[in-house]
Amino acid sequence: MDVELTEIVEALCQHAPFSELADDPQLNDMVKEVEVQYLRAGEWAIQPGILNHTLFFIRSGAVEALSKEQKLIRRMNEGELFGYASLLRGGKFSQSMRAIEDSLLYRIPARWFLKLYEENDSFSDFFELEQEVRLKVAMESQSSGISLMTCPIVSLLRRNPITIGIDGNIRMAAKMMADNKVSSLLIMENDILVGILTDRDLRNRVVAAGLDYDTPVGQVMTVDPVTMDSGDYAAEAVLKMMEKNIHHIPILKGSQPVGVVSTGDIIQAESHGSIYLISDIYKQTSIEGLQAISRKMTHTFTQLVLADANTQMIGNAMSHIGTAFVKRLLKLGEEKFGKPPVPYCFVALGSQAREEQTIKTDQDNALILSNHYDPKAHGEYFEKLSDWVCKSLDMCGYPLCTGDVMASNTLWRQPLNQWKKYFSDWIKEPKAEALLHLSIFFDLKGIYGDKYLAKDLSRHIRKEAKANPGFLTFMARNANQRKPPLGFFRQFVLDGEGKQSRTFNLKERGIAPIIDIVRVHALACGSDKLNTLERLEDIDNAGLLPDGRAKDLALALEMIGMVRIRSQKDQIEKELVVTNHVNPALLSSFEKRHLRDAFHIVERQQEFIKFRYAGKRS
Amino acid sequence: MFTRLMTAIKGPKAQPVQDWQAMFKQWAKEAPEGPLKRYYEAGTIALDTPLKEAPLLALDLETTGLDPLKDEIISLGCVPMDHKIIRCQGAGYWMAKPERTLNAESVTIHEITHTELAEAPPLHRILNEILNVLSGKVVVVHCVSIEREFLREAALNVYGFPLYFPVLDTMQIEHLAQNKTPWWKRIIARQPSLRLDACRQRYHLPRYKAHHALTDALSSAELLQAQISYHLDPEANISAYWL
Repeated sequence: MDVELTEIVEALCQHAPFSELADDPQLNDMVKEVEVQYLRAGEWAIQPGILNHTLFFIRSGAVEALSKEQKLIRRMNEGELFGYASLLRGGKFSQSMRAIEDSLLYRIPARWFLKLYEENDSFSDFFELEQEVRLKVAMESQSSGISLMTCPIVSLLRRNPITIGIDGNIRMAAKMMADNKVSSLLIMENDILVGILTDRDLRNRVVAAGLDYDTPVGQVMTVDPVTMDSGDYAAEAVLKMMEKNIHHIPILKGSQPVGVVSTGDIIQAESHGSIYLISDIYKQTSIEGLQAISRKMTHTFTQLVLADANTQMIGNAMSHIGTAFVKRLLKLGEEKFGKPPVPYCFVALGSQAREEQTIKTDQDNALILSNHYDPKAHGEYFEKLSDWVCKSLDMCGYPLCTGDVMASNTLWRQPLNQWKKYFSDWIKEPKAEALLHLSIFFDLKGIYGDKYLAKDLSRHIRKEAKANPGFLTFMARNANQRKPPLGFFRQFVLDGEGKQSRTFNLKERGIAPIIDIVRVHALACGSDKLNTLERLEDIDNAGLLPDGRAKDLALALEMIGMVRIRSQKDQIEKELVVTNHVNPALLSSFEKRHLRDAFHIVERQQEFIKFRYAGKRS
Repeated sequence: MFTRLMTAIKGPKAQPVQDWQAMFKQWAKEAPEGPLKRYYEAGTIALDTPLKEAPLLALDLETTGLDPLKDEIISLGCVPMDHKIIRCQGAGYWMAKPERTLNAESVTIHEITHTELAEAPPLHRILNEILNVLSGKVVVVHCVSIEREFLREAALNVYGFPLYFPVLDTMQIEHLAQNKTPWWKRIIARQPSLRLDACRQRYHLPRYKAHHALTDALSSAELLQAQISYHLDPEANISAYWL
């Protein structure tokens, strides 16, 4: 008797990991032990609190996973497997599984799952790496298909570089620039780029300084200019220009210059006008002027999204703009209220400190005062200044913080020693509930005033955190508070509460958890970085994560962040209120699939830090 | 049209309650010595056994045609189950070499080739094995007449005595379930299809390639599970449903 359950074998083989086993004779043996179960919508596949000894394969229909508290964790559909987590843990299962559509399930006995897991690498890899790998491939394929970040810098070059030997004099250089109608000249010595000379240099260093026009260019050029490789992306040039406050970047291929990219080129390439926006901010002398600029910000934001900037670039640009507003307002404030009686530092907290701001973010800030601060003598000045700055920021599109984490709150306007005490208390005796709200204090950056105050405080925090491993346990637990809305598909919606019932919050459930996870690791390895991607680099170098996992987190952050900014761009275009919520029904299947993968990574990494920083086991 | 109207208003005639256990005892006395007698002696479940405790076996036959007197069984598939779970572990599949030659038409339907059948044993050689599998089971089929009549004829030929078994007919169950809709709706609506594939789609079951005995057995097994969870009462006596 030759029994071949071809229907079942074929159904399994259409999906990984069984597709890998299609030629394995064991598969047929396994199928002979499969059980088939029909569930009506609403019936349990795995009831809460019941030991599970089965790997489930969804032949048709859909199943949802619920937590102990009956909260929806994820939804699965045809071809997906569930139950394996409990099989790897000896049957214990914290999630329960319920059919949400009429479903046909194949039940594969645990012993087959464990046997294949043990014997077959591709099979076990599937369960360990599935999500990560799928996401990676997806991001790569997306960047080749769509022009996300793929505008290479060479595509902006419009002509060969205009060069002059280092022996040439200023007059020759100026004539060359005029003849060729360029605003910069590359200075070469023995075929090697040694410097750059720009319009601005001629004005500031030559004419204004009254130099002889026979002076060799070598004396006035910028030596060893910032360069980029021809393979780099245009987006990176924008960041470099903003970061270094430069307007020209020579592009090299190997060691040879192939051209110069200027801010003009970039603007012409329709990237965006954020550099000009920033310089405009610094020119304003009134709140009204700043408000007028703030109204252009949504436009800048949409331009950036349209130009396929990645979330890192957008976060960077928006944070720089936000910082420019703060700086300008404090300058105006100091003009209004007089010079500060003692040194102080205005610090940005949270996303602004991490340079991950998006459009329309609440302000989170604080004030560190010098230890010479005397509340009686100086209190009134700083209260007025802080109140005015926070209110003005509100008028410029940065709403007041609902949690009152602002410099205008006396609690968060304290001398350095008091700040150190705050942190020592939080770190030595952490209270999980309190820390959840305070975690943004651990992303702290001085942006105006005596930045030494902020640096001193950051050093103190790093020192204390390293000395108190118990604190990391609390932070790790905190990082597990906000769970990803794992998996969704078709018309189903996960975050079902209130008016936003057809949406879920990408920030709360995806981006914030990643930032939290990374922050814990960053504190563990004593990283002084704030930006999540830069922290991940430090974490990776410190070897805190298994190979490749840092990259996974970065990809997940980019994926979720990308969906958020695109959705915010759509909201702006439709003149809706800009939120962090997205309606999964409006996402492409590509976005849905990979968003789910990204959430899987977040969930796994949350799980990882729970164990990594478990603290003392009782 | 008139009969359709009448059935629509009255619903189908109620079936008399069958006591298969008692009938098995009777046939055990009447059947000649041999495997079939032993099959009847092994008996079947009592008529007040709840559906959820009934041992079930989904069965499907492929034949050379539709006439049990002329045509022959060429393959047979079965899979054991209960009201919740289908167990592939006990699945069975047999091919049988027909006495007469196959016509081209049935070959194309079943996708079983002459060569395959030529190598298969004749039905009488495998019938004992099939009796063992059927023993004690309530048989699940889609459309009772084919399986019942072909196996009765086969047993008559081999043992000189008919083979009977209690049946849950998924087609009959579907027919009753569809007739639960109010009669005025039934008159207006087209009579729903009772074909296996159409029935399965009503319960959101996946589509299978038809006409392989084992796949079709699995197919009706899944259909029965779906029907049970929608229409039948697992606590009710088996006599309410068997034929």
